[in-house]
Amino acid sequence: MLTKTELNPPQQRPALSDLPEEVLAVFREFRTCEFSTLAKDGTPMTWPTITRYLPEQNQFLITTSIGFPQKAFNVRRDRRVSLFFSDPTASGLLNPPAVLVQGDAVAPDTVVTSVEGLEDYWRENVLGRQPAGMMYSRNWLTRYLMDMYYMRILIYTKPRRITWWPAGDMTTRPFIYEVQNVA
Amino acid sequence: MWHDLLKYSAQFKSAVLTGLDAAGYPYSIRCTPAFDQGRQVIRVRSASGAALEPGPAGLLFHRHNEQLWDLKMFLVRGRLEQAGQDWLFYPEQLIHGGGLRPLQAVATIFTMRRAAKMYLARRGLARPRIPWQDIKALYP
Repeated sequence: MLTKTELNPPQQRPALSDLPEEVLAVFREFRTCEFSTLAKDGTPMTWPTITRYLPEQNQFLITTSIGFPQKAFNVRRDRRVSLFFSDPTASGLLNPPAVLVQGDAVAPDTVVTSVEGLEDYWRENVLGRQPAGMMYSRNWLTRYLMDMYYMRILIYTKPRRITWWPAGDMTTRPFIYEVQNVA
Repeated sequence: MWHDLLKYSAQFKSAVLTGLDAAGYPYSIRCTPAFDQGRQVIRVRSASGAALEPGPAGLLFHRHNEQLWDLKMFLVRGRLEQAGQDWLFYPEQLIHGGGLRPLQAVATIFTMRRAAKMYLARRGLARPRIPWQDIKALYP
């Protein structure tokens, strides 16, 4: 088993792209992650979310409608979050690891309706993988009822630590990878 | 709540337990909860190497199909106590997320519309127009 030191010699500043391919494949192919933020009383609140892995920025993108703003409120109060990739449904991956990303998030207080800069997120992660969701914009009635679905808050998470259990077997000892983020 | 918890959890093969680690970051593991009917607590076998701490925690049940549809989910808030090699999760509140009750989708739409209206009003923002043509241009 690779030790933490072998994975992350202290003199290096590792990037997410240094992770094993089986972990990167999970980031790319899993349809959802279980995203946890902290409520006002400190309870972790976890909901499945669509997530886009941004390797060039060493971070993850989640968006939420202003109709469901609580996770953004939680992040603005306390930046500590986690993203757990443990449901391989529809990923096409065989025996993928379960991967836990712990990190710090930001949720700028801006309502985003433009798709500019988010084309890949909408096309690949949302519309491409959840085709039934296109009904929200299908006709005048659904557009009237569901316009708030397209009013989004962007949540970016920079990882601190990544833990993964090979083949999703929670009884095996996990690998741990410490990420040194540049501010 | 316990009755609902048993009824709804029967639709899921496993759940995600999330507690906190020593630095206060959320920490999740996938688990198969065991329900203790007499004590109304849930026993969870700990994952190898898991850095969970006793304290506030949540148990999420969710699933979707191959097209990321037929979404079903609910979350249970509670607290976690260590019991030897295992954890005991004491449920305190069940929060519905969708797909489990009749007409829940309709109720969700109105909840979202109300929340969105409040979000905009508190910031003095007008309801924005959605660029529908730009979104349709991204359809696969």
